[in-house]
Amino acid sequence: MRPIMLKGHERSLTQVKYNKEGDLIFTVAKDKIASVWYSYNGERVGTYNGHQGTIWSIDVDSKSEFCLTGSADFSMKLWEVSTGRCLFTFDQDTSVRRVEFDPYDNRILAVTDKVMGFPGSIITYKINRDSPTQQDTTPLLKIDTKEGFEKVSVAGFSYLGKYIVAGHQDGTISKYDATTGALIGSVKAHEGLITDIQFSEDKTYFIISSKDKSASIYDVDNLKQLKRFEADAPMNSAAITPVKEFVVLGGGQEARDVTTTAANQGKFEARFYHKIFEDEIGRVKGHFGPLNYIAVHPSGSSYASGGEDGYVRVHTFEKSYYDFKYDVEVTAEAKAHAGEQ
Amino acid sequence: MSQQGTWADDVVENQPLITTNEDGTKTVITYRINEKGQKIKVTQIVKEIIVKESVNKEVAKRKQWAKFGEEKNAAPGPDYRTTQVGEEVHLRLGTAWKTAEKEAEEKKAEESMLSANTRAITCRYCKGQHFSSKCPFKDSLASLEPDPMDESSEAGAAALASPSAPGKYVPRHLRNGGISASGESSRERDDSSTLKIANLNEMVDEDMLRNQLLYPFGPLVRVNVVRNRETGRSRGLAFAQFASESSAQRALDALDGKGFHSLILQVGWSKPKKPQQQ
Repeated sequence: MRPIMLKGHERSLTQVKYNKEGDLIFTVAKDKIASVWYSYNGERVGTYNGHQGTIWSIDVDSKSEFCLTGSADFSMKLWEVSTGRCLFTFDQDTSVRRVEFDPYDNRILAVTDKVMGFPGSIITYKINRDSPTQQDTTPLLKIDTKEGFEKVSVAGFSYLGKYIVAGHQDGTISKYDATTGALIGSVKAHEGLITDIQFSEDKTYFIISSKDKSASIYDVDNLKQLKRFEADAPMNSAAITPVKEFVVLGGGQEARDVTTTAANQGKFEARFYHKIFEDEIGRVKGHFGPLNYIAVHPSGSSYASGGEDGYVRVHTFEKSYYDFKYDVEVTAEAKAHAGEQ
Repeated sequence: MSQQGTWADDVVENQPLITTNEDGTKTVITYRINEKGQKIKVTQIVKEIIVKESVNKEVAKRKQWAKFGEEKNAAPGPDYRTTQVGEEVHLRLGTAWKTAEKEAEEKKAEESMLSANTRAITCRYCKGQHFSSKCPFKDSLASLEPDPMDESSEAGAAALASPSAPGKYVPRHLRNGGISASGESSRERDDSSTLKIANLNEMVDEDMLRNQLLYPFGPLVRVNVVRNRETGRSRGLAFAQFASESSAQRALDALDGKGFHSLILQVGWSKPKKPQQQ
């Protein structure tokens, strides 16, 4: 496959996301602009200009009407997707590391950094969709980092927007009620910083990646580990593929250590694992820096990776990708087929 | 045909005759005139198939968006500055992908090693694939062979004899019989009688050097002043080639450390002298 390389950012990518239909790709980087692209040909449709610092995170609602960015300039901005107009700015005490819409597009979530004496919190707001330029700046919920927990690095809404699941710096994951903010449970999932959390299509389970060179799948209800994927480098992102039962992991040696080792030792590859069997089944080369984020097309036909090297690479899967099956799968299918007849 | 009627006749005549057949196909009959002026009847049987492609309404709408932000007023379609197609990458899925990849790499390395071996190592005595010093026939064959030093010049001479021998690269210094001194080479000029004159005043040009400074010491082959490529200003450095080395030596002795246009010259050989210059 020949990837499309999107070079719209001057600095390393921080997040890459598809919209619900998968025709748009949203990218944010450490420069001050967010970009939106057509996924089928890599054409840049526009940029969202207005932030004063690194944009850490972006999310788009399910109607592709509004998008939300969280930045290191202590603010979170709501944009009109089709025109690039900034509709509203939510000011925060510290930089915003992660933003997300809830499944009904009614609420938004922000993870703020723990610096300058502020505890670091998960904050939710109600979104006024009818007159988007007038938003209520009083948070619905403000979950400060609790005693005994390290700071929150990532968070997201579970199915039905019922829970908020957060990943912490020390590898713990915790679950909160999304309406009351009460802590429901927590579990030590990894030994290092949780770098990414991405939910399955139905948001009943999620995959988390960690700096401890592994990734794992947990279910939302019981916070029980379902699968674990071991890698040989710190992982920055993990995504679940629809259609095929795979997961894609991205990462690599940290940017600050790259100069101390040979380039081919960097492990800057996207790794494909089988979701059920937990085996590594393939790698895709291309980036010349660690991969910071991986997003998979909602129909499972392509994936995009954003790297420390400033490039986004959009890969469309070939037929061999869909054809790949384990021997056990093939025999099981053959048996089922014979049973039908 | 145009001589006989107006263009309108032409159009009417060229109208295809379409008849619909019973099985749903259409027969299209058209006439045209070929280069020889003959009228040709073309009969085509056509079946029309409507292919429906369903596109999400929202997606179709979004494709019509006007560009905004930094892409405002940009032409439709991808811009090569922001969108490029990368090199082909492969995703070979398989549980044994690691071993497969490793094998492929090892094979490649082995092949390159093998080819390097065959090219690089040839025994001087028996022409086998080992170093000459390890040759089993070294003692018996060595006396028959001429001195290795002579051999290299012989090889050069052979190369000269067949300069167009295909597939064999002959280094430049071996092409002219392998004995070409630097003087004979067309590319490399003889610098044994060339002086480098540094710390020149910027206003000094070639003519001034010839007529004011160097004329007493003997005939000059060439004089040139090093200049900045863009601005053409002198960089305060010049090279002067004399007809003979002795006159160059005299000029060197006389001029080094002397003043010229209010600057003290630094004169030296353009290349460091070898102790035994021929």
